[in-house]
Amino acid sequence: MVSAVRTIEDAVWDALGGVQDPEIPAVSVVDMGMVRDVTVEGTTVTVVMLPTFTGCPAVPIIKSDVAAAVSMIDDVTGVRVEITFTPPWTTDRITDQGREKLREFGLAPPTGEGPVLITDIGLPEVAECPFCGSRDTHSENAFGPTPCRAIYYCDACRQPFEQFKPV
Amino acid sequence: MSEALASLLTALADDELILGHRHSEWTGFAPHIEEDVAFSSIAQDEIGHAAALYSLLAQRSGGDADGLALGRDAAAYRHAVLCERPNRDWAYTLARHWVYDTADAIRLEALHDTADEDLRALVTKMSREERYHLIHADAWIERVAAGPVEGRMKLEDGLKEAFEEALGLFEPIEHEEKAVHEGYLPLPSSELARRFRELAANKLDELGVQTEIYSRSDEAAEFVASSSGDLIASGDEHAESQPERARGLGGRSGHHSDEFQDLWDVMTSTYRNNPGATW
Repeated sequence: MVSAVRTIEDAVWDALGGVQDPEIPAVSVVDMGMVRDVTVEGTTVTVVMLPTFTGCPAVPIIKSDVAAAVSMIDDVTGVRVEITFTPPWTTDRITDQGREKLREFGLAPPTGEGPVLITDIGLPEVAECPFCGSRDTHSENAFGPTPCRAIYYCDACRQPFEQFKPV
Repeated sequence: MSEALASLLTALADDELILGHRHSEWTGFAPHIEEDVAFSSIAQDEIGHAAALYSLLAQRSGGDADGLALGRDAAAYRHAVLCERPNRDWAYTLARHWVYDTADAIRLEALHDTADEDLRALVTKMSREERYHLIHADAWIERVAAGPVEGRMKLEDGLKEAFEEALGLFEPIEHEEKAVHEGYLPLPSSELARRFRELAANKLDELGVQTEIYSRSDEAAEFVASSSGDLIASGDEHAESQPERARGLGGRSGHHSDEFQDLWDVMTSTYRNNPGATW
């Protein structure tokens, strides 16, 4: 019985690994660290998720994509997706694989290591250019096309690029 | 749910929604492309915070977030009058942005100790995002205050208006005593106002902005309750248009300016045309 429950949970994590952030399709919700808990009771699954930004308009889409992906799993008869702010999603939740995928997507991953203290929040003066790897860059705007992105410019390859804001 | 908690959530959400709406009016019109993006993004954050606060309120009281945001009469909104003022010009926009985000940081810091667990979690998340707003506002007023005289004078004009009306953000909310007693509002509004005045005055001093701007608001800082339960400020000398209420006060009891009626008409028009529409 225990092994059967375990199997569903594994399948849920696999399914979540295929759910993309609609605004950053290269990265899954697991890579983004948005999945707080997966619990399985019998054949019913509850997924608890943390939104990256409070006002992120992608949250309802992510919620229904998660529900759809999990409900495709054999043996799952019910799915609940809950959104919570406990704990707050912070950029250190993005996995190493997620950071690599952000870079490949052309989005500089958030800088810094370990937990982001509220007093540390702010835009780093330089970010590593995801196109040429140079640190000869400067910030242009703490705000960008989505709440989670800032705009930088690379003085080496002369390309504007976006950085995932530390938060 | 506690009427005091409902009152607190409404005031917080309404402030964020209404100021967010004003910020969004710069979309497509800001004097600089990066600022067009910045104000649009800040507006999105503020309206997102409002949505989360309304959702919390709706969960507890049984309403729905859209109905709370867009389905109320204008007199039911409890935001500070400061939030509804038109953007006027770029200088006033920056001054109000700075005043609001400085005040909001003080309020959110206090709310980290609120008795409501869900509100505490939300405030923790919001505070982290709001840091970027304050950094943006600080950078702008520092830049303009150190710049050419014309911009500096316009900024001082804007700060005069915004600073005076900032007291409206710290006007006691409805059921204030209960909110403090029940631990939802960990510090009374009067203490938050004191902290705001101290912090903001220090910052403006550093920038060399005229001290007259903030000394005047001290005179209007003493609140008294009228027999109708409305809050009016004593010692006020410059409120020709509203003899019984100092400029910028009244929002927390639903007394708004005609300017809010205009905003409300625009903001709620789609919702009113087709209530309950799904998107």
